[in-house]
Amino acid sequence: MKTGRRYAGQEQADALPGTPPQSRVWRVLGALASLKLSLVILAALGAGILTAYLSAAPATWALAAPLAAFALNLLAAVATNPVFRRKTPLLIFHLALIAVILLLAAGRLTYLKGQLELAEGEVFDGQLTQEESGPWHPRRLDVLRFSNEGFTISYAKGVRRGATRNRVAWAAPDGSVQHAVIGDQDPLVLSGYRFYTTHNKGFAPTFTWYASSGAAPVTGTVHLPAYPLHEHKQALEWTPPGGKTPLWVMLQFDEVILDPAKPSEFRLPSGHLIVVRAGEARYELKPGERVSLAEGVLEYNGLRVWMGYTVFYDFTLPWLLAACLLAVMSLAWHFRGKFFARPWDKPSTGTS
Amino acid sequence: MAMDWEPLTLWVALVVYVLAGSLAIFGGVLRTRPEKAVLALLVLGLLLHTASIALRWERLGHGPYITMFEILLSNIWSLLAIYLLAYWRIPAIRPTAAVVMPILFVMMGWLLVTSPHEGHLPATYHTVWLFVHIGFGKVFLGCALVAVGISGVILLRGRRHAGNRFASLPDDSRLDELSFRFMAIALIFETLMLIAGAIWAQDAWGRYWAWDPLETWSFLTWLSLAFALHARVAYKVSPRTGAVMVMAVFVLAFLTFFGVPFVSTAPHKGAV
Ligand code: HEM
Repeated sequence: MKTGRRYAGQEQADALPGTPPQSRVWRVLGALASLKLSLVILAALGAGILTAYLSAAPATWALAAPLAAFALNLLAAVATNPVFRRKTPLLIFHLALIAVILLLAAGRLTYLKGQLELAEGEVFDGQLTQEESGPWHPRRLDVLRFSNEGFTISYAKGVRRGATRNRVAWAAPDGSVQHAVIGDQDPLVLSGYRFYTTHNKGFAPTFTWYASSGAAPVTGTVHLPAYPLHEHKQALEWTPPGGKTPLWVMLQFDEVILDPAKPSEFRLPSGHLIVVRAGEARYELKPGERVSLAEGVLEYNGLRVWMGYTVFYDFTLPWLLAACLLAVMSLAWHFRGKFFARPWDKPSTGTS
Repeated sequence: MAMDWEPLTLWVALVVYVLAGSLAIFGGVLRTRPEKAVLALLVLGLLLHTASIALRWERLGHGPYITMFEILLSNIWSLLAIYLLAYWRIPAIRPTAAVVMPILFVMMGWLLVTSPHEGHLPATYHTVWLFVHIGFGKVFLGCALVAVGISGVILLRGRRHAGNRFASLPDDSRLDELSFRFMAIALIFETLMLIAGAIWAQDAWGRYWAWDPLETWSFLTWLSLAFALHARVAYKVSPRTGAVMVMAVFVLAFLTFFGVPFVSTAPHKGAV
């Protein structure tokens, strides 16, 4: 009968038919394949996770070391333990576990996670405001383009964010323009890069800057701090292109956009002013108005919204899912076989 | 004036559960087996409980998975439903109700002191993965609870003052076998729960795994379950030791399900 005790320890593995019983390599493998070692490793992995969880500093090694040991132990067991010859589902399950670990490692080496912001009408040009990536990440982001075509966000009473619907457009490989609505659980996927809307969004005044140096005029947006998160800090300091003196701009409006007392929608204020401070001087601008400053002329074009996105790249995602599903299916298969072989209330004829 | 059926059905359900549990516990102490009555009461309680949940669902427009009250409300329901299934199908282990019901009583007491206010449904909850993830989780915990009931009998039977209580159940090694079969099924469903959760997290937050408190604790639970199953294969683990391992896994799972949301308010703190 198949009972647990027969496989306690891996000494029996030495006697696998067809191998020199005293081969050194085999003995080392046998020791490495020990099921008791597996227990130690599982406990070490648990401890490593707790360490990484509780410590403030990154503790990659607390996870990577037990995982590496885990993979070695498993590989040695698969190579030497005869139980895997007899129980195919169990073998598949453990191989799937190895695949998961290898895929996780591959994912860590090649992933990218970043952030970007686009005002309404702006086109993504490959620039991220923040990013982290694995050392072998194949950078193919620079050629990707999509535009933010505006969004709606509903809010429930109490300023609780509901559905985000962000219209985006991009050019398909055949040159045709594609449109989609993304948000909440629907990312935009371009060449394996997944773009997600975030709760990070706000107002973006648009300016044109005519430098007195004679350089060509530049039009751009200033992304004010996120709204409604920084509702009372709708101001920002920035320096016009080619200029030296920083300007301070503030968005001013009186109306309540997101009313805590009732459901509402994120939208532009119906009337507003832009306050600009340059040194001691203070100006108020409406859309279309301009002001002459020491280094050039600033024209205020109007107000738009901006959306913050996260981008995530990990080519292993579908493979990881496949490996996980394989693992769980083979596990079910293994237990099914085992349980059907003997009812629980019949005495086992084995050793235990 | 219209009667408010939602709290009423819940109250009556809880009273019926307490009756069923008390009967089961006295049955254990007095060595009688009032099993038919316990079964009938549990079915009645579950029907009333179902009605109360359905009324709340109808009233709020979303299922019971947002607030602590709802998490307890729906888990008491699912734990009872799965335990009831085992109770009905495996008559030999019916006396385990004397172990299982007190655990549920604790949850019911907790439910009664928790505010039943309405929570806000986050935008990321409009997905089928919510139901898949939660559903698998509930089956996982339910199977673990059945194993805990069996393990509790193994441990109680070994005590000095136990006398011949629980003597009518199969011997320890068979109970041990059965409890680990439930743990094996629990492992399958916990694995499925983690997979579904990762798919949902990828869609909702752009990452499939980020070691948030719930993710961390649920993975530790998964590891502890793998550890228990392996320990049983690697050593000749006695039924008592096996029972202690089952209890330990359940405690970890229980803390993950109810402890982490309790201390961090949002089910996935920081990510919703
Ligand atoms: C550390 C590396 C691991 C090694 C070397 C290993 C090795 C083994 C071996 C040799 C068996 C066969 C036992 C037998 O029936 O004689 C086994 C069974 C099993 N392993 Fe692993 N394993 C490892 C990790 C894991 C992990 C992480 C899981 C996760 C859940 C797992 C789940 C199982 C299960 C469910 C069984 C079947 C137990 C049963 O039939 O009751 N293993 N393992």
